[in-house]
Amino acid sequence: MPASRFNAFTDYGIGIGLRIPHYQHILEKKPVVDWFEIISENYMVEAGRPLQVLDQILEQYRVVQHGVSLYFGNADRPNRDHLRKLKRLVKRTGTPWLSDHLCWGSVDGRYTHDLLPMPYTWEAVETTAANIREVRDFVEVPLAVENVSSYAEFHMSEMSEWEFLNEVVERADCGILLDVNNIYVSSKNHGFDPQTYIDAVPAERVAQIHLAGHSKFEKYILDTHDHPVLDPVWRLYARAVGRVGRTATLLEWDDRIPSFDDVHREALKASRFLPHEAVAA
Amino acid sequence: MRPLRSDEGMQREWIDGSATAEVAEQFIKPNDRLDSFQRLEIYNQQYWWRLLGNFAEDFRGLRAVLGDAQFDRLAVGYLHDYGSTSWTLRNLGSRLERFVRERPEFTAPHTSLAIDMVRVEWARTIAFDEAEKLPLLPEEIRGIPPELLRLGLQPYLVLLELRHPVDKLLGKLKRQGEIETASLSNAVSSGRPRRRGRLAARPQIQPIYLAVHRQNFSVYYKRLEAGAYRLLSALHAGMPLEHACVVACEATIDSPEVIARKMKSWFAEWMSFGWLTKPA
Repeated sequence: MPASRFNAFTDYGIGIGLRIPHYQHILEKKPVVDWFEIISENYMVEAGRPLQVLDQILEQYRVVQHGVSLYFGNADRPNRDHLRKLKRLVKRTGTPWLSDHLCWGSVDGRYTHDLLPMPYTWEAVETTAANIREVRDFVEVPLAVENVSSYAEFHMSEMSEWEFLNEVVERADCGILLDVNNIYVSSKNHGFDPQTYIDAVPAERVAQIHLAGHSKFEKYILDTHDHPVLDPVWRLYARAVGRVGRTATLLEWDDRIPSFDDVHREALKASRFLPHEAVAA
Repeated sequence: MRPLRSDEGMQREWIDGSATAEVAEQFIKPNDRLDSFQRLEIYNQQYWWRLLGNFAEDFRGLRAVLGDAQFDRLAVGYLHDYGSTSWTLRNLGSRLERFVRERPEFTAPHTSLAIDMVRVEWARTIAFDEAEKLPLLPEEIRGIPPELLRLGLQPYLVLLELRHPVDKLLGKLKRQGEIETASLSNAVSSGRPRRRGRLAARPQIQPIYLAVHRQNFSVYYKRLEAGAYRLLSALHAGMPLEHACVVACEATIDSPEVIARKMKSWFAEWMSFGWLTKPA
């Protein structure tokens, strides 16, 4: 949704993920980009080049933080040292909202560094919502949780993924980072209708949308972020923005990264699907 | 996560000897294309490909020393024994030196060079993004007697005593087109990292003293004289300046005049680099 409490009443347009191969181009050419999304963990360091580059980016651009290691679905409570570093970065970037994934990734202090799928149970709803509330209260910015792509489902699940997402965000009172590519990937891997998912999401909580490319294998689809966005994902995006309205949209491209201009051009295709007036680019 | 089979599939036997397929069926739903084992296998493979890819990026020099096959065995052994205990992949190799010393069979017959390489490559990680304190200003220490004066070193500065010219080897590797940085994302990997060539070096008769540090946001290797290394190490250990200077001069054959001239030049250089700080 544009300008809601879940994105700090901002009205961001189309952005792209800030990636190392594009640093030089961005700093030298200063292309017009509405906003950049950064992977928080890449800048949660004490000093050095990552922060030097980030500070230069912040002088010119709006930046939103996206994380890959909060693991809201962990059985353990959030790591306080991690949160302190995250909050320090939040203060540095001035990110209007913060996002991470609806997944788990570590147990008993051992980290997988993966976005592992949740069992969709009521117990997991409560644990996950409590973790999200704790993180939000600590970092003091609105939080949005992102649906992940997945390759496995659990027998013990008591509801669908979208029902689980809705229950979690309702109890945590947080926003949603709706990744339409992840919905598509999971729908193919698990055999559900992706439009059902899109239609079930509470539109008023969608703070941001993710787009990306994926890779098709013989028996499943992998969320590789190494291709342009595929047509079925664009169609899902159109349906999503048709429901939620103009929403901050971000293209992720993490592997086999082409030139900055190619990535930006791909991202700007999103403007064709956005309702009403053109989005700042 | 348990290591993959040699053909990069998931192990068919579970840790208790039962069939992994039967264990997977208990909690993973099959679909019309993949059984429970195959669905779990995707995560098992992604875990190893992601961590091994990251590990290979962080330890490109070690990989070039050992060769791809031996490096992969070392990486799997290390990650099996010392799985990640940090939320950031940056710390993945923090205990690798310890592992290489504990399990030399993974690096034989290159263990000595491997240890040196691991120490330098981990030092590079420290130098890349560790904290930077305000450099010491001369007026902050003026008037403090040397027997009382203690100096700190920048957290990003790592001092190493080596047997092999690892800095030269890494320079050679860099000239072959390596990249100095890595980053995280939430994308999954569609395959293993690409393979590269080998590095080798004989142990040197004299130790090599190396400072791994950061200047203008880039990581550098600087060779040090033995006395300079001893002096910096003594300061880092918290010795007062006077005592540290005595330690630095032990075993030197230089005349007092030469030593004095060298120390003046060392301190001038270290101050210009901003290496000296207030003690912690």
